[in-house]
Amino acid sequence: MIELKNVCLSYGDKVILKNISLKVQDNTIKAILGPSGVGKSTILKLMLGLIKPDCGSVFIDGRDITHLKESELYEIRRKMGMVFQGNALFDSLTISQNIGFFLRENLKLPEKEVNRMVGEQIRFAGLEGYEDLLPESLSGGMRKRVAIGRAMVFNPRMILFDEPTAGLDPVSSKKILTLISSLRHNSNLGAVIVTHIIDDVFNVADCVAVLYQGEIIFDDVTEKLHDSRHPFIRSILSDKILEL
Amino acid sequence: MPLTILRNLYRQIVFDLKEFLLNIQEFFFFSVRAFVTFPKVRTYWRDVLDQMTICGTDSIPIVLVSSISIGALLAIEVGNLLEDFGAKTMLGRSTSISVLRELGPLLMGLMLSARFGSRNGAELGAMKISEQIDALRAFGTDPVAKLVMPRLVAALVMFFPLTALSDYAGLHSAAYLAEHYHKLDPGIFWNSVYPRLLPKDFVVGFLKAPVFAIIITLVSSFNGFSARGGTAGVGRSTIKGIVVSSGLVLVANFYVSKIVLENM
Repeated sequence: MIELKNVCLSYGDKVILKNISLKVQDNTIKAILGPSGVGKSTILKLMLGLIKPDCGSVFIDGRDITHLKESELYEIRRKMGMVFQGNALFDSLTISQNIGFFLRENLKLPEKEVNRMVGEQIRFAGLEGYEDLLPESLSGGMRKRVAIGRAMVFNPRMILFDEPTAGLDPVSSKKILTLISSLRHNSNLGAVIVTHIIDDVFNVADCVAVLYQGEIIFDDVTEKLHDSRHPFIRSILSDKILEL
Repeated sequence: MPLTILRNLYRQIVFDLKEFLLNIQEFFFFSVRAFVTFPKVRTYWRDVLDQMTICGTDSIPIVLVSSISIGALLAIEVGNLLEDFGAKTMLGRSTSISVLRELGPLLMGLMLSARFGSRNGAELGAMKISEQIDALRAFGTDPVAKLVMPRLVAALVMFFPLTALSDYAGLHSAAYLAEHYHKLDPGIFWNSVYPRLLPKDFVVGFLKAPVFAIIITLVSSFNGFSARGGTAGVGRSTIKGIVVSSGLVLVANFYVSKIVLENM
């Protein structure tokens, strides 16, 4: 379980997060919905310990990771896979090397085992025949699937998605959402999805937190979003995509 | 009005000074981390070999061009000067000291700052901007151990043979020009080089190799890791890396020579 308790964060004079608290249970898909630039990706980085909050605490499975050293955080991060907004694929490595990176780098598995696990992800992500290409040769949707495969290959308990469908065409978006939905059925994984597209939330998320002006204004199961009376939520339910 | 301008100027100076001091502190911690990760060299030996090719083998042409040019230029200019004093037979001695102690290592340092340093800055800066460095951290890999330490080890190892190559090419180009331009017998030239060279002449030159390796690698890598602001930011951090490392190479060149020559 991931928990943020009274977290606040500023960049210079700009306040990003104001005393937010948030829980992500295991085996659920939680969406964090909000306009661009409101600090949604920052929340994911806080969960991974990539940045430190100015105040408050971040707990992973009940352990406070806020003040852990970088070397201690590596153990925590191995429980979570991350799909970055721009995919962050290692551009000098091939697709199969990207997917197998964690296995070779951290688990030191035998090459035969690495190839088997990478092969599984390649099939799962529908990337057969592209194993030896560099990321630059792939389309945006395919790169996203490689990033998902790379995040899943070491069987983490939770995957963090940063805007998984942003910038993709409708067909690729649908493929990615289907892939995310299938995660839970296939692997019993939990996930956090940061998005500004409300349809993505209704398509895949069990529960949703809405971030607005640095505060969580809604945090409940997805179906109850329709019952909210908050003017911002009413407006996004009618507009569908947040472009603020 | 002038008071407001002065106040703003004061605030800006204080802000810039704080930024500068924070940068120095960050650079210090970054450098310590790079050295502390040295025991992981066995894990990343493939990366070390790759970097040795990039900073060593691939740099041979530029090092040869610069050292041959400077050796030839020295032979012509110093030869002309010595001829006026009827001391042309001392050409080997004077060019060898200049090449071995100062110009060979210095030019090699500047060339590698431009070549190896710019590559480091641009590559690591692009990785930072595209979140690849964050991805490494997210997947439990220390980016300094994976990206900086191999570069540092490779530079520390490869700068020695490059210095030797630079010295060799510089001296031989000087000898060639002495023979064909100044019509000086090669025997006379080399006779004024070898018997008169002292251990300190080599110590000065070869001590500069690791110093330059550390400066160029750490400064360029640090600037790459600090890149922000898109592709323009990568450009800015790369330029900053080259300018700062070149400046530090020049300063270090002076101090290494001074310290060694005063103490040997």
